[in-house]
Amino acid sequence: MPAVQDTIDRVRKIDVDQYKYGFQTEIAVDKAPKGLSEDIIRFISAKKDEPSWMLEWRLEAYRRWLTLDEPTWARVHYPKIDFQDIYFYAAPKSTPGPTSLSDVDPELLKVYEKLGIPLREQEILAGVQKTDASELEEVSDNVYKSGRVAVDAVFDSVSVVTTFKKELAQAGVIFCSISEAIREHPELVKKYLGSVVPTSDNYYATLNSAVFTDGSFVFVPKGVRCPMELSTYFRMNEKNTGQFERTLIIAEEGAYVSYLEGCTAPQRDENQLHAAVVELVALDDAEIKYSTVQNWYPGDAEGKGGIYNFVTKRGDCRGDRSKISWTQVETGSAITWKYPSCILRGDDSQGEFYSIAVSNGYQQVDSGTKMIHLGKNTSSRIISKGIAAGFSQNTYRGQVSAHRKATNARNFTNCDSLLIGDQCGAHTVPYMEAKNSTAQFEHEATTSKISEDQKFYVMQRGIPEEEAIALIVNGFVKDVIQQLPMEFAVEAQKLIGISLEGSVG
Amino acid sequence: MNMHTQPQRTPAETALIDAFGDRLSLLPGDGAVMLKRDDAIETIKHGLPTRRVESWHYTDLRRLLNTVPDFDPAAMAKAIAPIVDGSTVASILNGKSDAKVPAPEGVSFQRLSEKLIDGSAAAGLDPYGSDDAIGALNTAFVADGYFVDIADGVELEKPVELQNLQAGGQTHVRLAVRVGAGAKAVIVERQTGDGAALGSSVSQLVLGEGAEVTWLIVQEQPETATHLAQFKAHIGKNAKLTLFVMNAGGRLVRQEIMVRTTGEGADFKLRGINLLAGDTHTDVTMVLDHAVPHTTSTEVIRNVVTGKARGVFQGRINVHQYAQKTNAKMACNTLLLSDDGEFSTKPELEIFADDVICGHGATVTEIDHNHLFYLMARGVDEKSARGLLVKAFVAEVIEELDDEAIVEALEARLDDWFAAHG
Repeated sequence: MPAVQDTIDRVRKIDVDQYKYGFQTEIAVDKAPKGLSEDIIRFISAKKDEPSWMLEWRLEAYRRWLTLDEPTWARVHYPKIDFQDIYFYAAPKSTPGPTSLSDVDPELLKVYEKLGIPLREQEILAGVQKTDASELEEVSDNVYKSGRVAVDAVFDSVSVVTTFKKELAQAGVIFCSISEAIREHPELVKKYLGSVVPTSDNYYATLNSAVFTDGSFVFVPKGVRCPMELSTYFRMNEKNTGQFERTLIIAEEGAYVSYLEGCTAPQRDENQLHAAVVELVALDDAEIKYSTVQNWYPGDAEGKGGIYNFVTKRGDCRGDRSKISWTQVETGSAITWKYPSCILRGDDSQGEFYSIAVSNGYQQVDSGTKMIHLGKNTSSRIISKGIAAGFSQNTYRGQVSAHRKATNARNFTNCDSLLIGDQCGAHTVPYMEAKNSTAQFEHEATTSKISEDQKFYVMQRGIPEEEAIALIVNGFVKDVIQQLPMEFAVEAQKLIGISLEGSVG
Repeated sequence: MNMHTQPQRTPAETALIDAFGDRLSLLPGDGAVMLKRDDAIETIKHGLPTRRVESWHYTDLRRLLNTVPDFDPAAMAKAIAPIVDGSTVASILNGKSDAKVPAPEGVSFQRLSEKLIDGSAAAGLDPYGSDDAIGALNTAFVADGYFVDIADGVELEKPVELQNLQAGGQTHVRLAVRVGAGAKAVIVERQTGDGAALGSSVSQLVLGEGAEVTWLIVQEQPETATHLAQFKAHIGKNAKLTLFVMNAGGRLVRQEIMVRTTGEGADFKLRGINLLAGDTHTDVTMVLDHAVPHTTSTEVIRNVVTGKARGVFQGRINVHQYAQKTNAKMACNTLLLSDDGEFSTKPELEIFADDVICGHGATVTEIDHNHLFYLMARGVDEKSARGLLVKAFVAEVIEELDDEAIVEALEARLDDWFAAHG
């Protein structure tokens, strides 16, 4: 059945020409010359004050990248990217390592204020459910429940500020920019960087390895439950720049961390490139929860401008009983090419992927996940909802594979998509590969999750059909929303107040 | 990935290209046909598809096709009894059709070689696209086959069985069938033989308005043969096609199914069973185009994987922008019975219309332990209980066909396979 009016209206509200983060800010910047060469990489490495092993690592990746061709298998179309026409490094001038917020350019703080991202700790405290002083103490005893979030803000190529560092350090958690980590914790970076997404992984990941400029680094030591949500906000401001951030999160034995990521960019007529790499490592009994609300500038109503979002995200459940969970709400970018994956290496490890992708205008989304079952008794779960409107193309592409030794591998996949209008397309391309007879894989992409029985049950209690459907659908979508940390759930809820009835597989 | 490489021609590619040069003078066809053959061999010269080619992702033909036998003029295949008694049988023995087929009223058989010589078969020879390796291979080498015409309104009581039998060497055949408006028929396509042959077979079916056809592909090649097949159909207004595919043999098998609904009210059903054993590779790839509004389709594929067999099912449903009110469902269920076997599946939906009902489901699992327990608690030993469950799993698909004679015939084929591969 076709989409109902209410759904159409709500999707219109988040249409591309309603993009509200499209402002740009005049900030003095320090830029590398345009283009890409070994010299540029040396320049970036020098700017970051990196040790020589890091420069070698970058150069090796660059040499490798030169031998690669751009992948063409995804269902996205765009003119060839001229890598010599991009600034690979742009940094706000006033930031040779700010030590406190007062060192940060007030223009910059304004940007984050406009985005609604609280960098000032007092503001965050003020926002904590109006607690009085005595309650505050209690809160700090139980900070995890306080709703406070430590933020790492990345502006163009560099991390400008990281909040709550001290408090995190008390718990033993390292949360800083990756550049800082390379300087301060080289042994950890050396051990884990590139161990999940090797430099030779794919075209964009290799490019990222060569030129990555900043990103976040999180290390949660053995047995520590990270006392607050960690988050990074990415902002692309400069014209003609590419953003290449690299995030590395390590959870040692028994550790837990929840990490959020948000992104926006100004409205520009030309396309900008964003090629990030995110690596997660979970050791025995560790759990990492990674949530993204991606709202890069999607281009205007005619499809002009917008961000090319070519991202490699992968989690390695290296230890037994470890768990990695990806949640993403994708509404922005002209092109999204992104497959957050889990390598289920440890026995009894678990991988999860929850996704809602809304495309509008001329957006193209080719997103999904990979669940690679290697260990014994591993399980994975994939829930994906795609909503396409306007002239957009929305593709789910996912792979589930069980290797020879992955006995008792379990997977459940469900992907639904909804088309609004007849000028857009929705596609599902799941790959299932079983090499073990004890594997149990289920994949379904159905028209509607609503069974006649459910509908009847609700309707016979006097609720009209339309409302009954909305009720059931909302209950169903909640499964995905609930995976998001509180702070993001509200933001996401606005995007996904969309009913999914009449959706097609 | 994506490294710059200039692949060397494999021995199989070289053998095919050389064979084309050797055979050229023997291949039938007028100027138009020969031009299409030249184009087709160019495609082969560009290299057989690898797993980089999306439609061949799980069947790396370049790697898997490692031997190409020579053409063997001495090979003698023998006609076999049809699966249903009383069928009209038209056989192709080692790539050669019969001059005379005793045809029932309203049905005519023409040798494809004649239509190649007079050029009337040229139009159907174009491959689907640059990745259509089977189409290209067949167009380059096709020498014979049948053109069958079932006149408007003819309702056949007995099946027509088209046999393609080989005894080694290479065979490249084509079966073209036109079913007139309102006609009804059951057509059996037998693909079998013995020897280490390489064969390509392309079937083309056009259904007129309101026609109803059940087409059965029964593939029982020996475990030494390479079988590359294609089935293409256009389903006209209010016409119904039920395609049943049974793969129970072959060393390297790829069965492509390309179906298009061309008239409103068209209905397509695909039922498939793949019985996989030994060290073999079997790929069933379907592309279904819902090109007009108000058409329906359902596809059910059941796979049983034993030994070191590798199975593949790729199914893509394309719903075109104006094909509103399409109703399409696809399911692929696999029983993976051995740790050395593997099965890969890729059910795709490409949807450009917004008022449609489409869905697909895919499962891979082993035998349900509760089912096994249920039977064993009733005194059935484990081996028999497993046998019963596996057979029931695939027989379910056969039983859906309402023609009793056909169901019995297919169940007999099933029993043969289980007896041989228990």
